[in-house]
Formats: sequence, structure tokens, C-alpha cells
Amino acid sequence: MTTALAGVPVRTILRGLADAAARWADADFPPRVRVLEAVVERTGYTLPVVEYGLDRLFGAITEDALAATVADELGSLDALDDFVARSGRPPARALPVGRVCVVSSRTTIGVALPAAIFALAAKCDVVVKDREDRLVEAFFGTLAAEHAAFAAAARAQTWSGAHDARDLSAFEAVVAYGRDETLARIRERCAPEARFFGFGSRASAGYVAREALGSEAQTRAVAEGAARDLALYESEGCLSLHALFVERGGAVPPERFAELLAAALERAHVEFPVGERSDSARARLGSARALAAFRAAGGSGAVYSDAEARHLVVLDPPASEPPLLLPRALNLHPVDGTAEALSYLALHGIALEALAASGKRADIVKMALDAGASRIAAFGSLQSPAMEGNHGGRLRVAPYVRWITSDI
Amino acid sequence: MSYRSRSAELDGEILRVVHAWQRDGRGLTDAEFDDLALREFAYQIEWNAPYARYCASLGVSPSAPPRTWRDIPPVPTGAFKDATLATFDPADAALAFETSGTTSGLGGRHYMDTRALYDASLFASFDRYLLADGARLRYLNLVPNPADRPQSSLGYMMGRISAERGDGATGWYLRGDDLFVDALLADANAAIADGVAVCLAGTAFAFVQVCDEFERRGATLALPQGSRVMETGGFKGRSRIVGREALYAAIAARFGVPQHCIVAEYSMTELSSQWYGVEPGKPMRGPAWLRARAIGPDGATLPEGVVGALVHVDLANRGSCIAVQTEDLGAVFGDGIVLIGREAGAELRGCSLDAESLRPR
Repeated sequence: MTTALAGVPVRTILRGLADAAARWADADFPPRVRVLEAVVERTGYTLPVVEYGLDRLFGAITEDALAATVADELGSLDALDDFVARSGRPPARALPVGRVCVVSSRTTIGVALPAAIFALAAKCDVVVKDREDRLVEAFFGTLAAEHAAFAAAARAQTWSGAHDARDLSAFEAVVAYGRDETLARIRERCAPEARFFGFGSRASAGYVAREALGSEAQTRAVAEGAARDLALYESEGCLSLHALFVERGGAVPPERFAELLAAALERAHVEFPVGERSDSARARLGSARALAAFRAAGGSGAVYSDAEARHLVVLDPPASEPPLLLPRALNLHPVDGTAEALSYLALHGIALEALAASGKRADIVKMALDAGASRIAAFGSLQSPAMEGNHGGRLRVAPYVRWITSDI
Repeated sequence: MSYRSRSAELDGEILRVVHAWQRDGRGLTDAEFDDLALREFAYQIEWNAPYARYCASLGVSPSAPPRTWRDIPPVPTGAFKDATLATFDPADAALAFETSGTTSGLGGRHYMDTRALYDASLFASFDRYLLADGARLRYLNLVPNPADRPQSSLGYMMGRISAERGDGATGWYLRGDDLFVDALLADANAAIADGVAVCLAGTAFAFVQVCDEFERRGATLALPQGSRVMETGGFKGRSRIVGREALYAAIAARFGVPQHCIVAEYSMTELSSQWYGVEPGKPMRGPAWLRARAIGPDGATLPEGVVGALVHVDLANRGSCIAVQTEDLGAVFGDGIVLIGREAGAELRGCSLDAESLRPR
């Protein structure tokens, strides 16, 4: 099928995408300013958090990053414009798979955008289920100003659940984010031959090796990074820190690490003020803090929080305790090695998106592999994935093309 | 004074309060409630070591006691899983109820060294809020049979009520997660044929399942006049949640019971007393020896009408902890509560896991 971007050279497309993103990376860009309040209202995050999120999102969308991803996954940029020679295989051309729908009903800031951008890079027509803040729609408006073909290729629409559901059977590919049951429902509505890419709910964890606990200063740096990974987006993203393992045997013990983490969180609250919290989250936070205090009174573990429960760090909870999964709240497990951490993740059936690690020690890398993580990151950058990375362990642009080979 | 004599003395006082309320509706003044609550608290931190340690960590001790019942440190429900919160040796327990349905899969235990307080509290409230007309009903229970699950407080509760207030033809239709709808239908039809009014008691989730199954079968009943329903909250850990109005409409339609005859009950394993919602849209009411406050994340009491986590102070919890902190959301209005539940206000945001998505091994 022909798509709106079919006749546009790929380099023009990538440049248009990157230029639009560069405008959006500017905090004073009027469309961004106009959408800001709506994003704050929808997410409940404070303005500095939203600003940071938009900076990170759009700052990562560069022409180099897009081109490198396309070239790596498809062999060359030119494959999207014409047949290209391939070593030991017939010449081939990558064609857009067709119409792509991106459904992101429950995500943090702009999670749908990278998928949409790579689908556009593959010259597909894209429809994004936009959120109430209409961030995607506003960005697509900027894209249309970059090149007229984007106006027809990229559309954002809002709809709610089954009430006003798009006819997903009309799409050649569907990208969806959500809980298992949500993904299952969406998949049911896709055409039998459609490509479906489901991104289920996931969590991220951190592992601090004893080598990183050699001095107070070294430990403080790791704790600062962990605090940022925990505080950003109110711990709601799949790249938020949800469980932290700290090795015993370093010069600085896990107990001191917990203190430094709590102090770093106090500072993080200044840079990223606490967002809106539901009554339920507040009640659960209060209850979790009281339970941790009860255990601490009995000689088991310790609890670090403040009067308003802006953060909660629970040291050494029972291994049977699942992650808190609450805003800026974290269980910190002292461990002797990675086996303990792996066994905890397995016990609670935690699907890991990423692992923040204090270093590249072989057993920590193996832990990330064994836990199913799709990314290993340094503390402090857990929530800033590279555009060229493989979110969810998937390829970025390859899913949106179909190949035609030429034997003549 | 020995543990035994102090316990007996307190029990005597609590039972006098229960009986006075049951007999003529006499409540407790603030001063009376404070007096009994603070004496029970002093007794509990003397005999309940884990609780005493917790209170001491919060700066509350015999030398720095709370001033009113609102200052009594509430123990979080999760603590019942971690420690034995009893003023006596659990080996001597007359009742031991287990919590269930936690997402972590670990239960807690609430021990009682006498049935007298629980039973007295139960009958006084049930008689007032469900049996004000003195009816002798047939009890059809969508809750665990205490013969199968003696550790279920809900099963024990309905077992005692059925035995003492029922017509002798009690039915039980829940075993594990299985509901026995055929048996329920047969027994309900028998009650209709006998012209005996019934009390259907069950969790919200059980009623949803039964109504779904009735709908699938096209079944509707017209229970005899005077029949009533006791619905107790319970969607914890369940993926399908139905709004209370829709649920009550479905129950009324399927069983032929007017909606005003459906009473909401709310309690928990960690309590000995219950709240009841008799009038739709009005706060739930409890007995004179049960009070609540809503708290914020800092533990401070919120003003009347402001939603927070509910803390219950149940003077019938003499053998454990009278002050219990829950994760249930609610607001206090006068001496009643409006229960909002755990789910409200908790719209899922973000792409991280939530508790319901964990798949514990």
C-alpha cells in the first residue's frame, strides 16, 4: 500500500523529525509551553518534572540517533528509498509495513512518541491514541510544519477504551502499552496478519556492588543517582527504581547507604518537587511506613522518611515483601551477592525492564541477563534511555518495514 | 493485679458497655470512651510486648501515655503478619482468625483469648442493624463455612449468627474460590416454597459472581417478604470490580429483594466489631465501643469529612490492639464513617508494575 511518506527520501524524513524535536527541546517553544500545563494536569507531576521529562524526550531525538538506528537495523538508510545491494543476499528494499496504530493508555510522558517516530522513519502512516494533554497532537503539528507529507502521515486522536474504539483491524501494525489484560484485549481486535507489539507493565531495579561502597564520597554519588532514579515521574515509569539491592562487605555498609539515599532524596525533592498523590497512594504510603516502623521497633530493619512521607526508604524488609510500588518509596535489600537479588525478583515475578548497576562486574551483567532486563544503566540515568536503545528488548525501526528482494 | 484479673475486669467493663448499648442504645461519652480506651491501652502495652516496643519507638510509653483515644498509636494491619500481637500466649487462644487475600500471599493472625467479647459485639450490632424487627431468618451464606475454614472471621461471624438467630436450615455456598450456585438456587427456592424470609450474606465479589451466573442462566428469584442481604466489601486482589450501586441493583433484580433491604457490612480480621451501612448514601454506623479517625500520611487526624486512611479503635479488641491502622480510605462524619475502599482514587498511572500485576511464584 502507498503511504503519505512513501515518496519522501528517508533523510528528509529523519531531518524533519529531528528538527521538530529540536524545537520541542527548547523550553520556550510556544507549542510546548501551551501543552505544559495539560501534561502537568494529566500526570500530576510538578512542572520541573514535566520540563525535565520533555527535555529528555525531545533532546534524545536527533538526526544522528535516528540515522544510526535505521542504518544499524536495516543495513543502510538507502534501503528505505530503493533497492540496495547486500552481501551474499539478493538486493532488497525496506517498504513501510503500512498503517501503524500506537495505543498508550497508561504511560508517563510521551512514551508513545519513540514508537511513532520510528514508524514514521519507516515511512508508515501513524495514528497515535493521544492522551488528554494532546502532547502528541501538538508535536505532530510541528512535524506538519516541517514537511507537508507529515500532515497526512501522522495523526493523533483521543478516544477512550471500548466506548469509542478505533477499528484496529484496519492497521497493519499495532503498538500497545499496558497491563496484560489490556494488551490481550487490544490484540484480539487486530487483524489476523497484523503485527502486534505489546509492551507490558515492567519494573526496574538497582544493584550496588561492594566495590562502589569504598568511601563515603563514592557511596554518596551512587545514592544521589539512585535518588534521581526513584524520584522522577513519581516512581510510575517502567524505568523507575522499584527495588534496590546493596551488597554487604563494602567499606560503607548498606545501613549507611540507606541514610545517604534518604538524604539524597531530600535534595531530589527540591529539584523535582513531589507531585500529586492519590488518596489511595497516600494511605498505602502511611501504612507501609507504619509497618516498617513497627518492624524496626522489633529490631528488624530501619525506616527513612520525613514528616510528610515525601519519600520512604525501608531497609532490610523481609524477602517475602513485594516491592512497594508507591511514589518515591523503595525497599532496600542488603545482599551478599547477585543470587539473592535474582531470587527476590523471581519470587515476586518481577519482569525487569532495566537494571541500574554501580559497575560492569561480570556477575551483575549476568544478573541483568538472567532477570530479563533489556538495558543496563548507570545510577542516575536509569530514566534517560538512549533513543537508539532497545526499549523492551525490541528493535526500533525494523518492526515497521516489510522487505522486498529482487532476483533480477 | 494479675493478668487474669485485669483482663476479667476489663472484659466486664466492655461487656457492660455492649449490653447497655444493646439494651437501650446507651452510648459512651467522649470522656467515657477515652477512659476505657486509655486503660485498655495501658493494659496492652504492659502485656503485648511487640506493640509496646512499637509505641515506645514512637515516644508513647507508661511514662508518656496518650491523652485521648485519638493519640493511641495504631498498629498497621500488616503487623499482624509479622508479629504475634496478643496480650496472652497464643497457645491459649479461644479464637484465631487469619487474614487472607493479600497480594504478597502472606497471612496474619488475630488471636483472642475469649469468645465473649467478639460474640457480644457481633450480636449486639447485628441485632440492631440487620434484625431490628427480631426476625428469625434462614441464612444462606456466600462465605466460607466455619466447619471448613475455622480461621475465617467472616465464616465464624455468620456461623454464630446462623446458629443463634437462624431457623436451623442454614446453607453455605462458598468453598475456596468455588461458588455452588445450584445448591444456592435450590435452597432459595425451598425457602420461597416454605415462605421463610432469608438473609443472604456474602462478599461483594461473591455476589458479582452469583449475579453473573444467574444472568447466564436467566434465573431470577422472588425471595419471601422480609428477606434481606448483608454485603461485605471484598474485591481485594480481584480483577473485576463492580460499583456498589450497580451491584445492589443486580442483587435486587436477581433475588427480588428491595434495595433498601441490602445492608453493607465492613470489618476486618484484625477487628472484633463491625460497621454497618443501613441507609444508602449515609455514613456507616458502628456500636458505641467502636470509633474511627481518618489520618494523613503523617499519621495526623484529618478533619471531619476529609478522606484519609481509616484508623479504627475497637474496644472489643482487648486481647490484641484496640487501635488498628488500615489502608482503607474513608472519611469520618460524626460517629459514622463513609467508606471509600482501597481502589478509589487509585487510577493506574505510568507503565510500571502495580501490585495486581505481580505474579508471585
